[in-house]
Amino acid sequence: MSPVRRIAFEEWRLMRRDRVAMGGLVLLVLLTVAAAFTAWDQRQAAAAARALHQSQVDQEFDTQPDRHPHRMVHYGHFVFRAPGALAAFDPGVDAFTGHTLFLEGHRQNSANFGDVRQSSLLLRFGQLTPAFVLQVLAPLLLIFVGHAAVARERESGTLRVLLAQGVRPAQLVAGKALALGGVAVLVLAPAVIALAAIAWTTPEQGGPAAVLALAHAAWLAIWVVGITAASTWLPRGRDVLLVLLAAWTAWVVVVPRLGPELALARTALPTRFETDIAIARDLAAIGDSHNPDDPYFAGFRRQVLARYGVARIEDLPVNYKGLVGMEGERLTSELFARYATEAFERQERQLAQVDQFAWLSPMVALRRLSMAVAGTDLWQYRRFVEQAERHRYALVQHLNRLQAEQLTFRDDKSSRDSRIASTHWHGAADFHFEPDPSMRGAASAAGTLLLWLVALSAVLIVASNRLGKETR
Amino acid sequence: MNTILHEARLLWRSPVSVAALVALFLLSSLAVVLGLREVAAQHATLSRLAVLQAQDLQAQARTRLARQDAGTVAYYTFHGTWDPPSTAAFTALGLRDAAPGVLRVRALALQAQLHEGETFNPELVLAGRFDYAFVLVYLAPLFLIALLHDVVSGERRAGRLATLMSLPGGGRRLWMRRAGLRAALVFLALVLPVLAGAVVSGMPMAAVATVLLATAASVVFWGGLSLAIGSARGSAAVHATALMGTWAVLTLLLPTLANAALSRGVPVHQGVALMLAQRQAVHGAWDLPPGDTMDRFFRTHPEWRGTAPLPEGFHWKWYFAFQQLGDEHVADRVAAYRAGMATRQRWTERLGWLLPGVGVQAVLHRQAGTDLTAQLAYQDAVTAYHSELRRFFYPYLFEEVRFGEADFAAQPRFTPPMAAAAMPWASLAALGLIAAVAAGLGARAAGRVSVRDGT
Repeated sequence: MSPVRRIAFEEWRLMRRDRVAMGGLVLLVLLTVAAAFTAWDQRQAAAAARALHQSQVDQEFDTQPDRHPHRMVHYGHFVFRAPGALAAFDPGVDAFTGHTLFLEGHRQNSANFGDVRQSSLLLRFGQLTPAFVLQVLAPLLLIFVGHAAVARERESGTLRVLLAQGVRPAQLVAGKALALGGVAVLVLAPAVIALAAIAWTTPEQGGPAAVLALAHAAWLAIWVVGITAASTWLPRGRDVLLVLLAAWTAWVVVVPRLGPELALARTALPTRFETDIAIARDLAAIGDSHNPDDPYFAGFRRQVLARYGVARIEDLPVNYKGLVGMEGERLTSELFARYATEAFERQERQLAQVDQFAWLSPMVALRRLSMAVAGTDLWQYRRFVEQAERHRYALVQHLNRLQAEQLTFRDDKSSRDSRIASTHWHGAADFHFEPDPSMRGAASAAGTLLLWLVALSAVLIVASNRLGKETR
Repeated sequence: MNTILHEARLLWRSPVSVAALVALFLLSSLAVVLGLREVAAQHATLSRLAVLQAQDLQAQARTRLARQDAGTVAYYTFHGTWDPPSTAAFTALGLRDAAPGVLRVRALALQAQLHEGETFNPELVLAGRFDYAFVLVYLAPLFLIALLHDVVSGERRAGRLATLMSLPGGGRRLWMRRAGLRAALVFLALVLPVLAGAVVSGMPMAAVATVLLATAASVVFWGGLSLAIGSARGSAAVHATALMGTWAVLTLLLPTLANAALSRGVPVHQGVALMLAQRQAVHGAWDLPPGDTMDRFFRTHPEWRGTAPLPEGFHWKWYFAFQQLGDEHVADRVAAYRAGMATRQRWTERLGWLLPGVGVQAVLHRQAGTDLTAQLAYQDAVTAYHSELRRFFYPYLFEEVRFGEADFAAQPRFTPPMAAAAMPWASLAALGLIAAVAAGLGARAAGRVSVRDGT
């Protein structure tokens, strides 16, 4: 047996005898299992509730009676954001964004009924998910179990003996790291099993699930290497513990909050209030479709008449009111898209500022990566909102075209009395969200995590060289 | 007094302790500065929006008054409502980052408008704010643990324990004095920035007192616990481990478990259900005979029964009647939805009687008016204002009164909800009780320190 493995075995033997360490390990493993079940259960419940609501509103839309198409434009449609399978591992922003979006004509509504507005402050303490256990609690256990690994040998004088017996410092340090790595593997195992189960039931999530497992393995590896390095470098066990606890506090508790805070202070977002008013102003500047003398819509009328080669709107083969509706919707939707894109880009700039804090804490990179891969980050939410907006536009224009083509200008007296057959809206409102499978942004976060791992490994190597010199 | 000064001199010679106190003071100051900044930004937003809203109203008056028709004005005119942050909001920013602090409503069906969200970056909100509540709940205990865990074991390690125990005034009184001094300095490092912030923001004395009491309770709790565990057998490292584990369980784990239990035990699905039901009620009305709609409306609003019958074709009073009926149709669901949220809030407060972190959060956020209760109060204020808007417009609609410029100017204005939060006495008392128990445990353990224990 190599000295490295012998040292690791010896370390494990010690850990087994330490009731506190074993208790902590068992507790953490049980907690991960509980977290996996709870998070999976909550995801299933959310997915079922949203699917139920979706089919309910789809059916309600289809069974609306004969109506004027413009009434259907105002009746609108609801879409529900179904959580992806990996949201059971890391729900990300799901509780903070709404998941219900009301789509209607001339307006862009916000997603609402996010959990954060429906819950007491407890949500701010975190959600019980495998990601929370691995990111926040697992490093603490590794610190408690591993901080004394090398320092203990030094303080009790066995270090000298070991080295005198021909164990090379690198072997000793590698053995201790291996022992702690074994604990990390045990801690990681339940989450990996949960991820494997998700990948088994939804095979297209296999790749992302593997990336999540690897990323969290890298995170625990960072701690294993860092803890061993601190234990090798610092002279006394209590110093190691205090330094590591301080590092944990800074990495896990302080920096992940400070980064967003400073990004918020630097880049503010406009309120909906302002955006709504700005859009209304821009629209008023373009023209008023109800005003017969409005220059923009007079020009539009000329164009339409020219296109169909007639002199009066009454002679058009299509209903002019429907065409005006389509033109108005086109104009408003362009503005909605412009303002929404601006707001999302500003939010992404905020996140780019937050990303800089990954140089202070790898947790920042890990969280971003975890949410991006689980499909629960801002980017996926943006995809949902933008796809829903495109769907809204297509639906409203479909209904406006029905008004243009199924009703004549002369018959289209009022939206209460002129109706078309309800068969026209069957199936028109069905919406399917296509998440972005590209795991955008995950690569750079993974790079940052690897850099941390490499940097701390370098520290560990230097520390183990020092160990050799100091005992010589 | 002399002994305290002596202890202070000893502490002053420990660079790590001094650095920890300074660091805590700086973190608390940073949290206060960021909190004040955020509140100032919210006020700036509100005054910017007030100007914008006034301009928008004027523009509306120009375009919508042409037909002197109240229905057109009521349909198109958005009215601003706002929820200004309290003077204590900087200590605990709470839900104000995710819930709207401004909302525009018009006289149409309310429930479709009331739940509108605000534009915010969900990834930033997910991280949570760096405010005083955060420093007090998450960071202060860690600093207390760092400063207090080796009050006894440090002396033992240094070989001074036997000497100290044999001196007059040694034993319990010595440890209590030492721990008390450190805890008092932690308390000062925490509250001095808040007091400065309170002066800047003009916080009322009652709110200041609440913050001081909550801080004191938290410091005493963690100080007492640190002394209790730190006086037990074992080395400083074991004590630090045990304390840190306790902190992680009380502050991170149990609240998180409780949240999982609460969202399962008290589901809140009615929000979506009420939106869906209301839409069916409102839009279904277009297909019902208008006379039936008016009959149903008159049942709850008999005062308009005697007015002119509906003419052929469209009439605004019919339109607004079915909008109101849409809201009345879902009144039960609204009540159930709010009851669900109130239940969650109540259980959280009860949990705070056991978990000091949750208790401190609950107290600070209640005092700051930034919790779920405050959000519901804002919604109530918007609802009351909306009813006022309806009452204002109905005479014009039902009695066919022409709507002129003077009428436009006379439209009701919103008054924000009263910020006066009641002192959260029950939660504070519970916090005080937990703190007293921890202090008692600490004092008892400090009296039992013996020279022979140790590693």
